[in-house]
Amino acid sequence: MVTMTSDPDPAERSATAAHIEPTGSTLHDDRDGLLGADALRPVSATLIRARYVASIVAYVIWVLMIAGAIVVAVLTGWWWMAAIGVLPLLILLQSLAFTPRRVRAIGYLDAEEDLTIASGIMFRSVHTIPYGRVQSVKIDEGPVDRRYGLAKLTVSTAADGSTVVLPGLPKQEAERLRALLTDRGISTMAAL
Amino acid sequence: MSTPEQRPETAPDVDATSQALGPAPSPAVPDADASPAETGSVAPSEQRRRTHPITPLVTGWKIVIGVVAVISAQNIARLIDDFTVTRALIGAGVLVAAIVVAIAFSALVWWFTTYMVDEDGVSLHMGVISKSREYAPRARIESVSVERPLLARILGLAKVRVEVAGGGESYLDIEYVKSADAEDLRRRILGVATSTSTAVAGGAGAVGAGDRAQEADVDESVDTARGATGAASSDGAGNTATSTSGGTLQEVLYDGVTDGELIAKIPTERLVRSLLRDVGFLLGIVVSIVGVAVAIILAIWQDGLSFAVIIALLPTAIAVPKYVFGRIESGWGFISRITDRGLRMRRGLANTRTDNIASGRIQRFELRRPLLWRTPDWTAVSVTVAGIDDDSENGAQSALPVGTREELWSTLGHLAAPLGTADDLATLEHLLTAPAREITGVRTPIRAWWIARRTQVTVLLPGALIHRSGIVSRTVQIVPRERIQELTLEDDPFGRKLGVLDLKVGIAGYTLALGSLAREDALALHGVLARDARRLRRYQDREHWPQPALRLLGSETTNSTGADSQEVR
Repeated sequence: MVTMTSDPDPAERSATAAHIEPTGSTLHDDRDGLLGADALRPVSATLIRARYVASIVAYVIWVLMIAGAIVVAVLTGWWWMAAIGVLPLLILLQSLAFTPRRVRAIGYLDAEEDLTIASGIMFRSVHTIPYGRVQSVKIDEGPVDRRYGLAKLTVSTAADGSTVVLPGLPKQEAERLRALLTDRGISTMAAL
Repeated sequence: MSTPEQRPETAPDVDATSQALGPAPSPAVPDADASPAETGSVAPSEQRRRTHPITPLVTGWKIVIGVVAVISAQNIARLIDDFTVTRALIGAGVLVAAIVVAIAFSALVWWFTTYMVDEDGVSLHMGVISKSREYAPRARIESVSVERPLLARILGLAKVRVEVAGGGESYLDIEYVKSADAEDLRRRILGVATSTSTAVAGGAGAVGAGDRAQEADVDESVDTARGATGAASSDGAGNTATSTSGGTLQEVLYDGVTDGELIAKIPTERLVRSLLRDVGFLLGIVVSIVGVAVAIILAIWQDGLSFAVIIALLPTAIAVPKYVFGRIESGWGFISRITDRGLRMRRGLANTRTDNIASGRIQRFELRRPLLWRTPDWTAVSVTVAGIDDDSENGAQSALPVGTREELWSTLGHLAAPLGTADDLATLEHLLTAPAREITGVRTPIRAWWIARRTQVTVLLPGALIHRSGIVSRTVQIVPRERIQELTLEDDPFGRKLGVLDLKVGIAGYTLALGSLAREDALALHGVLARDARRLRRYQDREHWPQPALRLLGSETTNSTGADSQEVR
C-alpha cells in the first residue's frame, strides 16, 4: 500500500519500518457510496422541511426572476431574453431536487474520543475532531430552526480557521452533544 | 454559549490546586527577576507606569510624516509650479504648527497610556476620550519580544511586545521604554508568565504525588541562582558564555542576548552569500526590477518626464530595495541562544528585534534549502507558533535565517521533540538531501502528475509527520504528531475516479494539505493521525510529553538553565 520507488538508506529504513500500519478505526471506503457514511448517524429529517421553509424567500426571488425574463421576452419579442431565466431556474430546480439528498448526506458520530462530522455528496468532507482539542462549542437556533425544534452546533478547534458546523440536530441532541464535548473535553484536554 | 475557555493554557482546576498546594514558586519568581535598577517594581501594589517621556516625539513624527507625505505626494507638481518664497514660508509655518499639534496630541495620548506588570499579568490602559484597558493574563502570555525600530533605536528606546495566545492581533505593545528597561521589563513579564507554568507544573506533580516537593525545591534554587546573577549585573554574569572580557561590548552588539548556550550566529559574509545563492530571491529581484523598469519607462513614455511622474512611481521603485533590505535585515547580526525560557534570538540592521520562542509552543517546523545552498549545506528554519501572527520573514517565525548543519541540528535539537527514529539527524539529513523520489513514503498515485510524484512525499515517523516538497528549493515540513488538532478528509468526483483523497492536517496556525493521496494511504494515515490527535499531549500525562532531545544537555552546560525549563510552554 505504500509506494516504494527505491531502497532507502539504512538510517531511513529503521525510521520507516513502522510505516502507516492501519489502525482499527480507519474509515470505511466505499467508492460508490459516501465516504464514511455507513458508520455515521444522520441528522434529523425535519431539516429537509426546515431548509425548504428557510429558502422560501430565495425561491420567490428566483421565480420572480424567471417570470420577469419570460415577460420581457414576450413583450419585446426577443426570444433570447428568456435565456436569462435559465440560470435562476437551474438554481431553483437543483435546490428543490437535491436538498433532501444533501441533508441525508450530513452525518456525525460521537465516538469514544472524537467527533466526526461529514457533509456533502459530490464534494464531501469528513472532519475528525478529538474532544480534547475542542476550543469552543456553540449552539445556534435560527427562527426557522426553532420552529422545527432544531439547532445548529458549531465546533471550533485551534486549527487554522477551523470551525465545523453540524446543522439539523434536535434540540436535546444538540444539548447532549454540547455537554458531551465539554465534559469529555475537560477530562481528555490536550495542550496546543 | 458554553465554551471551555482558556483551555490551551491551564485547566482551571489544575491552576486552583497549584495555587493551594504550591504557593512557594509564584512569589519567588518575580522577586528573583527584579534587578536593583527597577525601583519599587516588586511590590504587589505596584503603581501604573508611563512609557518613556520621549515617546510623543517618536510617535508624533510618524503622524507629521504621514500627513506631509500624503499632501505632498498628491499636490507636489502644483506646489512646485507655483513656488514663491512667501508660500514656502507659509508652508514651513504650517508644517511647524502640524508638528506642534501632532506632538501635543501624542503627548496627550502618552499621558493617558500606562502599563503595569503584576503577579496576574500585564495590563495596558490607554485612550483619552474612550478608554481602553487591555489585559494579558499571565497564563496566556506566550512570549515577549523587544523591537527597536530605527528612530526609537537612535533615541535609545525600544518597544516591548507581549504576545498572548490567540489568533490574529493578540498582542500588547508597550511603546516605548528605555532600551535597558526593556530588557528588564521583558525578563519581568516572562518571570510572571513562568510563575504560572511552574505553578502548574507543581500542581501536576502533586497529582503524580511525591515529586512535587522536589520540583519546587529545584525551582527555588534556580530562582535564587537567577536572582544572584540578576543582582550582579543586568545579565547572567555567572554564566560561562558571558564571563569573557568583551561581555559589555557583546551585550551592546547583541541587544542583551548574551546569556545561555550559543546556538547559532550568522556572520555577515554568510548572510550575503546566502542571499546571492538564493535563486528564488534573485529571480524575484530580477523580475521585479524589470517590472518596475518597464512601468517607469511606460509611464515616462506616456506622460513625458516630469516631477509628478517620478513621485508617483516612487513607491514602486522603493519596493524592491525595501524587500532586499528586509531580507538582509532578517538575518543581519542574527544570534540565537538557548535559555531557560526557550530560544532567544536577536536580529536586525536598522531596526533590531529580539524574540523568544519556547519549544513547547512550536506547532510546526519548516526547513528550506534552496538549490545553491546545497553545496555549503545551509538551511533556513522557520516555525509556526500559535498566537504569533505571521509577521513576514523577519519576525519570530524565522528561527534560523541561514544556518550551517551544526546550527541546524542544535536549533532543532533544542526546539523540536525527537522524531523517534534510530538516528534523527541522519533521517532528517536524508529527507533534506535525497531526491524526493528516493524517499520512502506516501505520494500521489496519479502517474500523470509526474512532477508531484517526483517532488512531493509524505513520511510518517514515530514522532512527526513530515512532508517534503519543492523542486528548486527543497522544503521539509515537520509537524509533530502530538500537535494535530483536527483532520479533514476531502473527496470529490475527480478523486473518486482516480482513486485519490485529499487529507488536511490542521494544527494551530497552519493547515498541512496532503493532496491526492491514494485512498488506502489517505485513510490509513487518517486513522493513525486521528488516534494521535485524540491521545497525545493531554494535560493528564504532561510528564510524558516529548521534550527536545538536547534539553538535558543544555541544562548541564549552562547553570542558569534549570529544571523549571521543563514546563515553560
